[in-house]
Amino acid sequence: MSLKRIFKILTKDFSVGPRKPFFIWALVMPFALTFLFQVAFGSLFEPKPRLAVVDLGRSEITAAVQELEGFEVSLLENREELLEGVERHDYDAGMILAEGFDDKVKAGEKPVLELYMSGESLASNRIIIAVMAIEMIRELEGSEAPVEVETVYYGEPGLPVSIRLVPFLVFYALVMAGIWVPSSSIVEEKEKGTLTAMLVTSARVNEILAAKWLMGFLFAIFLATTTLLLNQALGPRPLDVAVVIIVAAALTTMIGLIIGIYSKTATMLFTLIKSLGMFLFIPILFYLFPDWPQWIAKLFPLYWIIEPIWAVSVMGEPLSEVWFELLVAGAITLAMIPLILLLKKRVFT
Amino acid sequence: MKKVSNFRLLMSVLKKDVQIYSRNMLYLFLTVLSLVVFVAVFWLVPDTVEEEFSFAISPSLNTLFSESKEVLIEKGFPEEVVGQLDEFEAAFEEEGLVLVEIESEEQLKQVIKGELDVYKTEEGRFILIDPDSDDERPEGASKINLDTGIAFPATFLSDAVLGEKPKVIVYADARVPEEIRGAMQGFIREMAYQLAGYELPVEFPDEELVILGEDRLGDQVSMRARMRPMIAFFIMMMETFALASLVSNEVLQRTVTALLVTPLKVWHFLLAKTIFGTALAMIQAVIILAFVGAFSATNWPLLLVIVLLGSFLFTAVAMLVGAAGRDFIGQLMFSMLFIIPLMIPSFAVLFPGSVAAWVSMLPSYPIVRMLYDVTIYGTLWEDNVFYMLYALSWVVLLYGFSLIVLKRKVTRL
Repeated sequence: MSLKRIFKILTKDFSVGPRKPFFIWALVMPFALTFLFQVAFGSLFEPKPRLAVVDLGRSEITAAVQELEGFEVSLLENREELLEGVERHDYDAGMILAEGFDDKVKAGEKPVLELYMSGESLASNRIIIAVMAIEMIRELEGSEAPVEVETVYYGEPGLPVSIRLVPFLVFYALVMAGIWVPSSSIVEEKEKGTLTAMLVTSARVNEILAAKWLMGFLFAIFLATTTLLLNQALGPRPLDVAVVIIVAAALTTMIGLIIGIYSKTATMLFTLIKSLGMFLFIPILFYLFPDWPQWIAKLFPLYWIIEPIWAVSVMGEPLSEVWFELLVAGAITLAMIPLILLLKKRVFT
Repeated sequence: MKKVSNFRLLMSVLKKDVQIYSRNMLYLFLTVLSLVVFVAVFWLVPDTVEEEFSFAISPSLNTLFSESKEVLIEKGFPEEVVGQLDEFEAAFEEEGLVLVEIESEEQLKQVIKGELDVYKTEEGRFILIDPDSDDERPEGASKINLDTGIAFPATFLSDAVLGEKPKVIVYADARVPEEIRGAMQGFIREMAYQLAGYELPVEFPDEELVILGEDRLGDQVSMRARMRPMIAFFIMMMETFALASLVSNEVLQRTVTALLVTPLKVWHFLLAKTIFGTALAMIQAVIILAFVGAFSATNWPLLLVIVLLGSFLFTAVAMLVGAAGRDFIGQLMFSMLFIIPLMIPSFAVLFPGSVAAWVSMLPSYPIVRMLYDVTIYGTLWEDNVFYMLYALSWVVLLYGFSLIVLKRKVTRL
């Protein structure tokens, strides 16, 4: 094996790669998914009561409502928009603050509070919104509460869904870069015949495969790290995270190499990735649903890389806590080498 | 030479397409997989909506009221005035609240910490069980998950009436959302205000006026019901890939040029692709709608028309994508450019308020809207006229455009 030739093939792959659709796809998807889950649809998994407000005067309540935590507040321009939105259940409730509302409350004139509830809003949300509205009006009224309320908390605050989704996003980055990119690259070269052309030169199959593995490995490290950075999940020990990512990238790229060697055509590759993807994806579900029996996740190979990523990057634990998982992941990676050597003749088919 | 009829020409192209499709293991596999997975997911998703909020109080309402009444009577309050305290019991019986009464504050703390489990028996009694003990769960009892509890002083009501500013402690799991903690505190404060004789500073209109739209309290649309239209929509959408691949291959491999040397005309080719794509998407959508129990005696003709329109729409998209004549991976990426925007309305309908209003401008919106309204709200023809025309306009526009593009491509090959 010549390191020089491996490096040359790798340089060629990296210079040609960015123009290939599979490369662009792999690069774009983790970013798109991060945007989708964290920005566009971030509220889907933890719905909060949605309140719309139309302020026809300059009520102090409007400013107070915007400061509220745990609510999604929308300020609307007119009454009709609010009523339509509430009826469509775009909002759980809508509050219309008439002109002079604050003055009437302060003067004890008991104005009518226009608080509309959507027929589809949950009973619990209706109570929460109604109580919140009355609280704010009491504050506006200026009367001191005739009771002292103290809150005592137990346990640790739960992780927001945006953080619980991190394993999914990193998994996607690893699969796209580590599995999809090297396998597509091999299959494309097979289909276009460039692989055979390369083998006419002094390059050996092992060197080509090593270069493909290296390409996926480096790309997977880059994408997984970027995804963690984008989701602010590098944790308090970035060096430990780097070690975990290196192990994870090595394993996923090895799977990618096997799939690439085995697939004769792009169609076959796609079928394999689709069906195998579901199998590989299963451990992720256990992070989204922590109540499920966690031992089942250990039956799946990617558990052994997702768990260290979760523990070190999200939970901030040191490497010493995940050494066993990393050892298993390393063992799986090494166990795949004989399989690759056994299958490598398929590169010529 | 005997002239071949248009019908036979069309049938021969269709037969060829069916054969190619059935030989394509990828799409066949994905079709079967999607049907099985979607149906399985549908039946796994919960069919109930948790819209109530459970919380515990200590001491029990009985103790809370009797102790306070005793204090007030001792202070010389007339019996009829003391009797008015009972009205406050209604505050704990609001719809949407599930109240668990626990006698001691110590036990309440243990429940919130998770050191004691609470079970509700069929008779409505609450039983506390140490999860680490060997005590068996009472037969027929259901476990109640409690993460918030309020510890009132036994004389809370009388203290509030007398203006003695009682202290109430809310015990909460740290994972309880901010809005629920706030609501708990607000609930206590408002009760104290009322007991102390502070009237509400505002008037509320009648409840009928306050609720907009059909009041679904206790009859909320479950996630499973919401998934019904979404699954049918996704199945139709998936077929875009299959048809686009079929058209793409014909363009890429120039088999269409070979076909046009025969008596076959371009319009035969285009019509065959339209029929094949629409039928493929429609058959699967109908199968899935049947499996998820969407059809009823009144809605089936309407649902079939909606599915037909949807299938037409995605066929048009597939023809447009296929006309580019890209290789497998290129065509896959190109399809995604169209599919992702068309997917957005399904989220808008499934999760109201989650995405912007411009989503209703997208071609797939009226299809999703109608599927949703018909399968969930049972709307009929007259309620869907607008969306039907809206969907039809998009179908005509997109189909017309895709015909022009594909025809140009085919004739220039």
